Amino acid sequence: MAIMMPASDQAVLARRSEIVAALRAIVPGEGVIDTPAEMRAYESDGLTAYRQPPMVVVLPDTTEQVSLVLKYCAAHGIKVVPRGSGTSLSGGALPLEDGVLLGLGKFKRIREIDFDNRVVVTEPGVTNLAISQAVAHAGFYYAPDPSSQIACSIGGNVAENSGGVHCLKYGMTTNNVLGCEIVLMSGEILRIGGKSTENSGYDLMGVITGSEGLLGVITEITVRILQKPETARALMVGFAEVEAAGECVARIIGAGIIPGGMEMMDKPAIHAAEAFVHAGYPLDVEALLIIELDGPKIEVDELITRVEAIANGCGSTTCQISTSEAERNLFWAGRKAAFPAVGRISPDYLCMDGTIPRGALPKALARIRELSEKYQLGCANVFHAGDGNLHPLILYDANKPGEIERAEAFGADILRACVEFGGVLTGEHGVGIEKRDLMPEMFSEIDLNQQQRLKCAFDSQGLLNPGKVFPTLHRCAELGRMHVHAGKLAFPDLPRF
Amino acid sequence: MDTLKVRDAKDVEEVVRAAIANEQPLEIIGHGSKRSIGHAMATNAVLDLSALNAVTSYEPNELIITLQAGAPLGDVLSLIDAKNQQFAFEPMDTAALLGTPVSGTIGGMIAAGLAGPRRIRDGGARDHLLGAHAVSGFGDGFKTGGRVVKNVTGYDLCKLLAGSWGTLSVMTEVTLKVMPKPEAERTLLLRGLDDAAANKAMTAALGSPFDVSGAAHLPKSEFRAKAEGLGDMAGQGEALTMLRLEGITASAAHRANSLRELLAPFGAAILVEDAASAALWATIRDVLPFAAGGALSAWPVWRIVCPPASGAALGFQLARETGGELIYDWGGGLIWAALPPKDDAHGAVVRARATAVGGHATLIRANDDVRRAVDVFHPQEPGIAALSERVRASFDPKAILNRGRLSRGATA
Repeated sequence: MAIMMPASDQAVLARRSEIVAALRAIVPGEGVIDTPAEMRAYESDGLTAYRQPPMVVVLPDTTEQVSLVLKYCAAHGIKVVPRGSGTSLSGGALPLEDGVLLGLGKFKRIREIDFDNRVVVTEPGVTNLAISQAVAHAGFYYAPDPSSQIACSIGGNVAENSGGVHCLKYGMTTNNVLGCEIVLMSGEILRIGGKSTENSGYDLMGVITGSEGLLGVITEITVRILQKPETARALMVGFAEVEAAGECVARIIGAGIIPGGMEMMDKPAIHAAEAFVHAGYPLDVEALLIIELDGPKIEVDELITRVEAIANGCGSTTCQISTSEAERNLFWAGRKAAFPAVGRISPDYLCMDGTIPRGALPKALARIRELSEKYQLGCANVFHAGDGNLHPLILYDANKPGEIERAEAFGADILRACVEFGGVLTGEHGVGIEKRDLMPEMFSEIDLNQQQRLKCAFDSQGLLNPGKVFPTLHRCAELGRMHVHAGKLAFPDLPRF
Repeated sequence: MDTLKVRDAKDVEEVVRAAIANEQPLEIIGHGSKRSIGHAMATNAVLDLSALNAVTSYEPNELIITLQAGAPLGDVLSLIDAKNQQFAFEPMDTAALLGTPVSGTIGGMIAAGLAGPRRIRDGGARDHLLGAHAVSGFGDGFKTGGRVVKNVTGYDLCKLLAGSWGTLSVMTEVTLKVMPKPEAERTLLLRGLDDAAANKAMTAALGSPFDVSGAAHLPKSEFRAKAEGLGDMAGQGEALTMLRLEGITASAAHRANSLRELLAPFGAAILVEDAASAALWATIRDVLPFAAGGALSAWPVWRIVCPPASGAALGFQLARETGGELIYDWGGGLIWAALPPKDDAHGAVVRARATAVGGHATLIRANDDVRRAVDVFHPQEPGIAALSERVRASFDPKAILNRGRLSRGATA
């Protein structure tokens, strides 16, 4: 394992049976799992290259139980790793040898659907898709749609600030949640926000969203729901050069059009997807754009015409426009199956997740080609082109000595390039353990210290999900120390009024 | 009064460090347009950011703009308007309501986080702030976020900075998302609805697939016949309910027709187009009927946020109990309440009513005496208040920045 996790606390491990008994007193019956065989299901998440059995798994089913578990762990200095459905692609739910794995899988109930206020109040273990399904009969849906939406939990979505294909137009999780019930590491239960459009005071909901399970354990969430657009149509446009496809994306946005989704695939991704789902993708192009317009029919038809003209102006070599739902779904089928499709052509792959300014796309793809040569590993690229979110899939074989290390080094170089081009390390998968040690590429020590001070405001002992997000852990007392800047006692000599 | 006019981010660091060493709190201002919001600050030293006013970069095709915090809001809006773009959250211009000669800066716009009618669809300032450079109360310059829309790298401290009223850090540079301006806008006007019926009409509209981007209601009012900004619409002060549709021309017109049919049970809607429609929504956004120069200039003004469908019941009771005037926005989820002058600006009633439906109220306009008598910002549950204080201290342990602005008696 290339990533070092915090050293295990031997004193805690020595008390394991006592801890298991204490947890059983809080969560009776099958809610505490401590046999190696049963815990195996929890030893990894979506970042399967990393595995670690937890000390014990606890699956509470009430907020009070969550509170008591955290209170007990806080009192005894025991680390806790929260887990939703375990679909994190960055290792956000990777267990710790000396930690309690706190699963929220039993929080499966939608508590309230309020169409008048256009919100759903739900428990965190409900899947993303189940929320949309619960309100579909009234024409509503929950907009953020990560690819894992069949499996991923809404609690995990809040922890990771999940995105999806449609977030260009409809925003990420943070733009679609209004409130939550959260349990702090101390066991304190707090309610933040609710059905109001915005909250009072500091935007705690905003900073909890995307905090990767380091600030608290969410036990209830209030999300916004929207009316489904009347219709949606897609264009599938092929280009002989990646640059032309990038230019097409820029011109569509420049023309004031914000598509519901705008995805790009490069040649290796197109070929892998076509071989897998036979969506009718053109195989002789270097880049394929799938552009979806949604809204009233009259608007969609008009925008389809405008986008088609822009694509022609950018030298598209093929352009198909969906005329039915079946055809639109077929265009998407290949893109949506891109990851498993790549899984068929390579024994293993690493999925990266950097974001770059849209305009840097050709540069970024050229760099990825160079790196692919350097590391002698293949790479297929799928790309949320509308918002600059790149998903290079690095192909490797874990059974060949040294390939995983090469693949990880390749991935790290891609992410460094994203930062170099004005972008960021992760667009939607989170930092977790995967990108933790790259954080200094983007943030200075001062930047990271400020983030960790915020962590201290929620979890002063640093017991909640340690080892994730931050490359170096500091004690809260040390972070809070005010440095006296010697010789700077007087205000600087500035114009005064 | 000692005003320190900083020239760059380095100056800000030095001023804050000196302030820490001297235990001298600082009031942070841009143009000072919103200084009258909040409690009197426990300081006479002012950090003035108005010279940090450059446009660092504007990339229309990337839909982002990076600005120094002191850039004048009006200039920036003109700049992006020239590229047919806008801030989708429709930032409020507080000048008329507060009676200031200037509309403020970008930094103030974000620190106050006052979003306009489109908030219900496109979010607030918090949703459009992508990245920031700021100086904390440790005297350290730090950055958070980035210059791209899709970013989950590290904690999203931008969310905390937006709406923090300058109490966490001094923002020096910010990156904001810009969006294309819609090609056309259409407003449907319903006349004569009472608050409850208007709330129902707005709920129906916002629950429709017609992508409504504004839903506001002006109740029947004697004084409003003379109010600014409504032009011919002011009528004899009859109730007006407004629903906005934006987008490409054919689509906005089509949806206006569909919505008009949906709302037929509430009466025959009048269609208002483009410039006339924009003027109506500017009136709502900037709360012009309650302008400081107008008939209600002596009345304190509250901004109440609540679950949208509860708006009418809350507003109706409040108006009856206080004799106040109301404007509903956000489909009922935002109520601007101008209440007859009183020592506590009717704070107890406002707060009790707002809290009862899960809402909260901020006293946006009031004289110094009233602000000494009542909490400007909504009191929080003890647990949330304690966590918020720990969050504040994690940025500014010595309370150097805007000390005392958010809570009464916090001046020690």
